[in-house]
Amino acid sequence: MSSNKIVLTSSDGESFEVEEVVARKLQIVGHMLEDDCVINEIPLQNVTGDILSMVIEYCKTHVDEEESEEAQTKLKTWDEEFMKKFDIKTLLQIILAANYLNVKGLLDLVSQTIADTIKDYTPEQIREVFGVENDYTEEEEAEVRKENAWAFDEADTPKP
Amino acid sequence: MISDFIPDGLVLEILSRLPAKSIARFQCVSKLWASMLSLPYFTELFLTRTSAQPRLLFAIEKRGSWSFFSLPQQYEKSSSSLVLAAEYHMKFPPDNMQINIRSNHWFPCVYASGLIFFYGMLIKEKGHYGVPVICNPITRRYAVLPYLQRYQMPYTFFGFDPIDKQFKVLLMDYPFGLDHHKILTVGKGDMSWRRIKCSLKHSIMSKGICINGVLYYLGETSADNPLIVCFDISSEKFKFIHRESSCQLINYKGKLGVIYRDYFANDAIELRVWILEDVEKHEWSKYAYSSRDNKFLAHFDSIVGVTATGEIVLSMADYRFKQPFYFCYFNPERNTFQRVYIEGLGEYQRRNHSRVYVFANHVEDLNVNDSNLLKSSIYAPYVKIEEEEEE
Repeated sequence: MSSNKIVLTSSDGESFEVEEVVARKLQIVGHMLEDDCVINEIPLQNVTGDILSMVIEYCKTHVDEEESEEAQTKLKTWDEEFMKKFDIKTLLQIILAANYLNVKGLLDLVSQTIADTIKDYTPEQIREVFGVENDYTEEEEAEVRKENAWAFDEADTPKP
Repeated sequence: MISDFIPDGLVLEILSRLPAKSIARFQCVSKLWASMLSLPYFTELFLTRTSAQPRLLFAIEKRGSWSFFSLPQQYEKSSSSLVLAAEYHMKFPPDNMQINIRSNHWFPCVYASGLIFFYGMLIKEKGHYGVPVICNPITRRYAVLPYLQRYQMPYTFFGFDPIDKQFKVLLMDYPFGLDHHKILTVGKGDMSWRRIKCSLKHSIMSKGICINGVLYYLGETSADNPLIVCFDISSEKFKFIHRESSCQLINYKGKLGVIYRDYFANDAIELRVWILEDVEKHEWSKYAYSSRDNKFLAHFDSIVGVTATGEIVLSMADYRFKQPFYFCYFNPERNTFQRVYIEGLGEYQRRNHSRVYVFANHVEDLNVNDSNLLKSSIYAPYVKIEEEEEE
């Protein structure tokens, strides 16, 4: 069973042939396979080929998760390097894909990476990246900024 | 907008992994975000995450001025260098205020759930010494509490009740002192000191530690009756548990941990760790570890806490001129010691030493809405620290 090949097709028509064990890392695929075990081609409507290829790369690497401390450390290093390749825009596309395809490990990893990336963002940068409309009036915004003034200090270092 | 629409559930999943400081800043993004970040669903998710990663909060005191820092309680094993940069938070009190420490046995600086209580603010114009004050070293807010005239400096304790989300200050008098024990609920409106009774006259032997709404400290009625005093913050009732000789109290993964150090010939030390499993039934889990030739265990006087993996964290008591400052992690199972050197403490060295106060298990909790409790804010991006010329 494990040598079975499955073809995953992205929204823009790109196809990826992967081993069934890899495809099963995508829980959405796992559920489909349980419902009907003769499927060998699965269309994935909400993810583009370039993002799907990254999700597959993650799943291939995480296909057999060993318990040993050494293997865990190695995987962690791989995860860090893997995440370094992406800008915030791509990270947000990956999180949407990880959510849709239901890949728990990747969802955790990419959530943390996005959090680390946006940690020091200004409210303006957040609005831009997440497409949020500012519904504060000028006075209201000044007030809420004043209330949270401590959170706007840039360099928190003790000055001699 | 540079991204596709991200559902709120995913946004909250990301935001729950941020420090409280980023959350405060992102209150300013929009009204919608501000209300989303105040949802109980979010504050609880945030608390679950931060509780899994407690921090060591510590203060370096010199001449009545406290500089606050923090760093993760659990150091990253995979990192090759064991030098960590501490995050600087603030200096307290502000330059126009002064905190007096006249003796150190009444614990001038105590911690509960993110807030620090000081006893000893000096308000010169009123001639008040020992005014109680509370600050949040992370948000830099503070509040001066009502002054209380006392004959003697009381022992000060500070606790947090996680159910009602209330902070209380407890002032304990000496066994044969002239004052009364007093308690104050920190909150909105009129704050006043109430008298509180304790059925058992006892001497106080240690500072307090607050775990899950119960304040614990060491006491004794006589040298042959050493006790652990348990004070329930919500019901304001005292309970007493018998203990053995001298020991230290720590937060052992959310339970009370009692550590006894026994010294034997040939530099052997036995460390006994007792964990209070059930306060009603007086049930303890007990572990004992032996170590030999270990100067850390023998001389480090301060055991501050344990990590999630069960390592015992020891702290230096002082920050000395031109000396490195480090925490020491003792792994009792493997009998190993790991020093973690701390950088980023700034130019605090002086020829004498500065006292260090360490508070373990510091967890950022968005439910503690300190802008309701603490009306004043030190507001200055940098708090200038004067150059010290010590001869």
